[in-house]
Amino acid sequence: MEIDPFLRFYCENIPHRPGSAEPKTTTTIVYLKGEIMTKGRIAATLLAITLAATACGSSKKTVTAGATTAAPAASATTAAPAATTAAPAATTAAKAAPCSAKIGFMGPFTGDAASIGQEQLNWGKLGLADYNKANGTDFAFVETDTKLDPAEATTGAQKLVSDNSVVAILGPAGSQEVEAVGPAMTAANLAYVSPSATRTSLTAGKLPSFARVVPNDDAQGPTVAKFIAEKIAAKKVLIIDDQTSYSTGLADSATAAFKTLNVTVARESIAQKSTDFSSLVSKVTDDTGAVFLPWQLAANAQQLGTQLKEQGKKAVVVGSDGVYSPKDFSLEGAYVTSFAPDVRGVASAAAVVAAYQKAYDDKFGTFGPPVYVAAQLLATAVKTTCKDGKPGARADVTAAMKKVKLDNTILGGPVALDDKGDVVGAKFYLSQVKGGKYTLVA
Amino acid sequence: MAQFVQLVVNGLTLGSLYALIALGYSLVYGVLKLLNFAHGEVYMIGSFIGYGVLQVLGGSASPSVPVGILLPLLMLVAALGAGLVGVAIERFAYRPLRQSPRIAPLVSALGTSFFLQATMLLVVGARIVRYESEKLIDVSSGIHAGVLNISVMRMMVIGVSAVVMIGLNIFMKRSKLGKAMRATSYDPEAAQMMGMDVNRVVMVTFFLGSALAGVAGVMSGLVYNRVFHTMGFVAGLKGFTASVVGGIGSIQGAMAGGLIIGFAESFAQGYVSTTFYDVVVFVVLIGFLLTRPRGLFGVPELKKV
Repeated sequence: MEIDPFLRFYCENIPHRPGSAEPKTTTTIVYLKGEIMTKGRIAATLLAITLAATACGSSKKTVTAGATTAAPAASATTAAPAATTAAPAATTAAKAAPCSAKIGFMGPFTGDAASIGQEQLNWGKLGLADYNKANGTDFAFVETDTKLDPAEATTGAQKLVSDNSVVAILGPAGSQEVEAVGPAMTAANLAYVSPSATRTSLTAGKLPSFARVVPNDDAQGPTVAKFIAEKIAAKKVLIIDDQTSYSTGLADSATAAFKTLNVTVARESIAQKSTDFSSLVSKVTDDTGAVFLPWQLAANAQQLGTQLKEQGKKAVVVGSDGVYSPKDFSLEGAYVTSFAPDVRGVASAAAVVAAYQKAYDDKFGTFGPPVYVAAQLLATAVKTTCKDGKPGARADVTAAMKKVKLDNTILGGPVALDDKGDVVGAKFYLSQVKGGKYTLVA
Repeated sequence: MAQFVQLVVNGLTLGSLYALIALGYSLVYGVLKLLNFAHGEVYMIGSFIGYGVLQVLGGSASPSVPVGILLPLLMLVAALGAGLVGVAIERFAYRPLRQSPRIAPLVSALGTSFFLQATMLLVVGARIVRYESEKLIDVSSGIHAGVLNISVMRMMVIGVSAVVMIGLNIFMKRSKLGKAMRATSYDPEAAQMMGMDVNRVVMVTFFLGSALAGVAGVMSGLVYNRVFHTMGFVAGLKGFTASVVGGIGSIQGAMAGGLIIGFAESFAQGYVSTTFYDVVVFVVLIGFLLTRPRGLFGVPELKKV
């Protein structure tokens, strides 16, 4: 489970060399595993990323949206209704001057992942604006573009660290970036909260001032196993990995979880670039209740599901978060996981969603809403340290961040951090495909 | 039993496609003694052309023409487009090198292959696109009786391949151009002396072989759905293997070889391993080469001493 959702998105969009089963960025991940990168590794990483980016870049238009893009941003401040999830009301700050502080915001606002970066940017802006409005604070973002590149992120982090007015940071987005900026953040004891980095090792203790508002990859296998065993009530499950490190890792963790639930597991494996899945599908027995696909390519899962139907097999398809793509994966009745829910289906998020749709557009997925929550979390932490309109020291903010509890968030539940920086009781979400749309079921 | 029947159906479908691709290798090799390694890319481009036409005609969900007209139209346009790509490849990558040592056009072929892949990456991007053929014809339609499950798409793939291959056989045996192709294959210099336009014959050969790959590309899109810019590499390799197993240069051989590789792949996936099925396929190739180097229908090359 090495690849986080960001890289998975990236992997689907970079070219594959003939004959290699894994996308090229996997090399990058290997390089980034180390705690602190040596110069050689940085160079190699840069090279790998440049190669990938050159190839991708030519196939897609680079979005040249600057840091101060989105014109609707201004209207967001005015149009946004009071957030339903507003953090503690501003009772003490009412008399004193409004607390004013700067929070760094690192995201892939341009480059290959710009579509996600812009979504994150918009949700972050909305989150902070809503918080300011509800609490009478005057917090502002210092935006830093990382292009989903660890080297860019490192440079950006150093800039933010040396800017003494910045007391906390939202981001960066990718797990590899979080690792890259780790040393600078740790040295400055600067709090940073990622809205999308899921790699498990990030909260293993090496990054003391780091936290995230999404679950780590280890939560996925057990979530899926529990759902299949209890809700689909399958006695026998087939798990097919796609021969990537993400896939085999997740398949292993799900296999272990199924065993504890007394579900019989069969394992198969097929390369991402195989032409035909129908012979694999012919191995699905009639008593197999569900097929779990921890895959990276939604189009492949769609094809396998179609061939199940073609051969009259009744097993239910459950895809991992790599398959989450309403455009490419739309098998009626199938399930798919995600590290954040589609907030359109979360009741407590209705007002915020409406405000977002009004200010921006309806083209958001699961990457944006956690940013809103991360902004709330950081703003709450900064505010608790505020005295006379000024925020406390960075170390104070970091300490305060770990104690923040948000009672209800737009993700549909409370958010509180454990001592490692993970959300307490974090889980993956499951949606079912109904009429071509994803409906949140667990 | 149910699985066995299913694997036969799968093998037949896959084998038909491999046979069509193998024919392209065999035709070109027969006439020019050249391994056209860019052939897999022509198959990929054919698949994309079919996808493009499908989108222009409204996509799978709401096609603007009836399915009965749509499918032949996709194949025709793709055949034409792929055929022209093949002719262009011959004109610019192989013809200038026809008199050079055999290694030169081989390298040129590999270069062309990468060039075409990169070009498609530029034009269409790296995402896997889907024909969404299940929206054209429901996958649960067709024959579903007892252990036999065979969808309409699969029947179409097998049927069209059979018709195309029989047609090609008749063309090669009866038509004037077919005879000219065989004559050029036998002795290009003598053919030229008899007044045949060798360049034209070579052009027709490339057009035919590439058009078959285009048809195979569209059918692959229809039955396996996924289309991407590197799909031609493995398909080309399998098609090449098929033509070697059948005896390169032989048309019947390409057909038989395609089916053998198709069955080997599907049975290996079903009964051996979905991870290592390619190993089985290439073991078949090695086995054939060891015991019968000229392939099933190949003719040993006569050499004057």
